[in-house]
Amino acid sequence: MNLEKVIFGFFIVLAMTLNFGFFLGDIDNISHHHVYELYAAIIVSLIATVLKFGDRTQVGAILLSTSLAADLQLITAAILWAALHGEMESASLMVYIVSLSGGALMANFVSVILLISETISQRR
Amino acid sequence: MNSILFMILRRLRRPLILIIVSFAIATLGLTLMPGTDDQGNTWYMSIFQAFYVISYTATTIGFGEVPFAYSQAQRLWMTFSIYFTVIPWFYAVGKIITLLQDVSLRQTITAERLARNVRNLQEPFFILCSYGQSASLLASILDEKNMRVVIVEQKQERLNELELADTKNSILSLCADAKLPENLIRAGIYNPYCSGVVTLTDDDEVNLAVAVSAKLLKPNLRVIARAERGDIAANMESFGTDHIINPYTLFGDQLAMRVHALGTYILHQWLTGVPGDTLPPPENPPRGNWLVCGYGRFGKSVVENLERENLSTTIIEAMPDLTECERCVVGSGTEANTLIEAGIQDACGIVAGTDNDINNLSIVMTAKELKPNLFLIIRKNNRHNSALFKKFGADITMQPTDIIAHECLAHMLTPLLAEFLALVRNQNNQWANNLISQLVDVVGETVPETWAVNIDSNCAVAVSEYIDSGMIVRLKDLMLDPSNREKELKLVPLLLLRNGQSKLVPELDSVVVNGDRILFCGTYDAKSALAASLNNIKTFNYMMNGLEIPDSLVWRWIKNMTTQ
Repeated sequence: MNLEKVIFGFFIVLAMTLNFGFFLGDIDNISHHHVYELYAAIIVSLIATVLKFGDRTQVGAILLSTSLAADLQLITAAILWAALHGEMESASLMVYIVSLSGGALMANFVSVILLISETISQRR
Repeated sequence: MNSILFMILRRLRRPLILIIVSFAIATLGLTLMPGTDDQGNTWYMSIFQAFYVISYTATTIGFGEVPFAYSQAQRLWMTFSIYFTVIPWFYAVGKIITLLQDVSLRQTITAERLARNVRNLQEPFFILCSYGQSASLLASILDEKNMRVVIVEQKQERLNELELADTKNSILSLCADAKLPENLIRAGIYNPYCSGVVTLTDDDEVNLAVAVSAKLLKPNLRVIARAERGDIAANMESFGTDHIINPYTLFGDQLAMRVHALGTYILHQWLTGVPGDTLPPPENPPRGNWLVCGYGRFGKSVVENLERENLSTTIIEAMPDLTECERCVVGSGTEANTLIEAGIQDACGIVAGTDNDINNLSIVMTAKELKPNLFLIIRKNNRHNSALFKKFGADITMQPTDIIAHECLAHMLTPLLAEFLALVRNQNNQWANNLISQLVDVVGETVPETWAVNIDSNCAVAVSEYIDSGMIVRLKDLMLDPSNREKELKLVPLLLLRNGQSKLVPELDSVVVNGDRILFCGTYDAKSALAASLNNIKTFNYMMNGLEIPDSLVWRWIKNMTTQ
C-alpha cells in the first residue's frame, strides 16, 4: 500500500465520477447540470493532469494525453458557459456544454480503464 | 528537448498542484460570499468573475473591486485569498527560477542544443577532442578553410576562450568528457557527414580511450590521435587508428628535415598552412657540428634525426643520470662556461630544445654573445610567449603545437595529401625546390588549396561519361578554363592514384581512366571551377573540343539542319 498510489488513483477516478455526475441528466435542461459540479470536475481533472507529469513509460504518456483531452473539453465548456451565459437561449447553450463534458467523460473513462489494466497487469 | 520538458514538468508538480488547489478554494469561496449590487440587491459572483478576480489578485496585479464595491463578507474572503494564493504563486515562481539556474538542467539544455545543431549539420565536419594549444590552432585553420568543427572539451575556461575567438563559421562545442562514448555520440559521430575524430589531449590515456571508442562506434571513421608512449601507440594501432602523432619524434623529424632538406620542409609547411599565409622564408641551416641543449624526449629525437642526416652533435644536459645521456657536457646551457666547454667556437649551430621557454631564450642569448654568427634554432613551448620569441628573432623558431596541428591538417584535408607528403620525403631537396618554383609560378606565393578529385560517376559525372563512351581524356584536358579553353586553370596536379599505385606530379599528357584519384593544388577559384566543369557534360564538351552543345530540342534541330 502506497499513499502516492492511493492519491493518484483517487484523483483519476474522482475526475471521471465528477465528470459523469455533471453529464448525467437531460442534455438541454439547465437545472439538471450544476455549475459547481463542472467547476469541481475541472479542478480535479487539472490536478490529475499534473499528477501524471513526468512519467516516462508508454502507459504514463497515454494517461497524460487522455487527461489533456479531458481538460481541453471541460475548459472549453467552462469558457462557453462564462462567455455565452445570458446571451443565448439557455437550452441550446446547455446542449453545447453537456455534450463537451460528454466528450471529456470518454477521455476520463479511457484514463480509468488504462489505470485498471495497468494495475491488473502488475503481478505483485 | 523532449526529456527536458518532462524533467521541468516533473519538478514543478508540487508547486503546480498547490496553485491549482489554492486558486480553486479561493475562487469557490468568493462565489459563495454574498455581495450587493448598485441597486442594493444581493448578488453572488459567477465562477468566471470570481476566477478573474482571484487571478489578478494572486499574481499581485490587483485591479480593485469589480464590478461592484465588495460587501464585508467578500472583503473578508479576499483578505484570506490574498495570503492564501500569493504564497503558492511566489513559491512556484521561485521554483521555476531555481530550476532554470540549476546547473545540471543547464548542462542538459546545452548538450541537447548541441546534439540538435550537430544533427542539422549538412556538411562534412571533424570532431576535435580537447581545445588545447594545437587543437585551437587546428580549429582556426579548419575554420579558415570553411570546414566545420565540433569540439568536445572538459574545461569550461578553454571553451570560453573559443567563444571569444573570431571565427568565420560557428564552431560547435560541448563541455564534456570525451572519454565517454555517449559524448562522442552527442558530438555527432554517427552523423553521416562526420569525417573524422581528432584527439590531441596531453593525456595518453584519454587519447587512447577516445581513439578506441571512436573506432568501435564507427570502424571506418578516420581517427587521428596523439600518443607519447610507445605502448599506447601500439595499442591504438591494434584498434586501427589511422594516424598516430608522437609530438617528440615529429618535432625531431621536422627539425632534421628543416636542417637538411629545406625545400621538402617548406613544401610540407606551405601545403598545410592557413589560407592567405605566404610562403615561409627560406633559412638554410649550415652543416657542421651542432650543440643540442636538453636531452629529454625532444632532445633525443632531435639528436637521432640530426645524426641520421650525418651531422655531428654535442649534447648539453643538466641531469645526465635522469635522461640516460652517456656522452654529454653537464650543465643547463644558460651559462657561458658550459657552452664554451661544449665547444661553441667550433659549432655551426645550436638547438635550444628544453621544455622551458625562458631557459631556451637564455641559452640562445648567451650563445649569440659568445659567437654572433651561430645559427640559432629555438623551441617555443607556450603560445603565450610569442611576443618574446618574435622580439628575439632566432633563425628558426619551432613550436611543437604548430607542428602537430600542421601534421593533423595534412591527414584531415584529404588522405591523398598525407600520402603525397610521405612520398615527397623520399625525394631530394632539389626536386622539392623545383616543385615549389613550379607551384609559385602557377598559384602565387600564398598558401594554395589542395583537394582530391575522384574520377567516377559520382564526383566527375561528365568525365566519367566521356571515358565510358570510349573517348580519351588527358590530364591537361581537365585543367582547361571552362570559360575560355585557350587558357588553363591555375592548378597543378600533384599526385595520381590508380589501382593503389601512386604517381608523383603526373605528366600532363597522361590519360585519365575511371577510378583515378587525383590530388590538385591551386587557387580557390580554380577549385570551384574544376568541380563545376567536371560534372557538367555541356561545359566539359566545350573544354574537350570547343563545341557548344545546343540546349533545347529546337536549337538542336536547327543546328542539324544548318550543318547538313
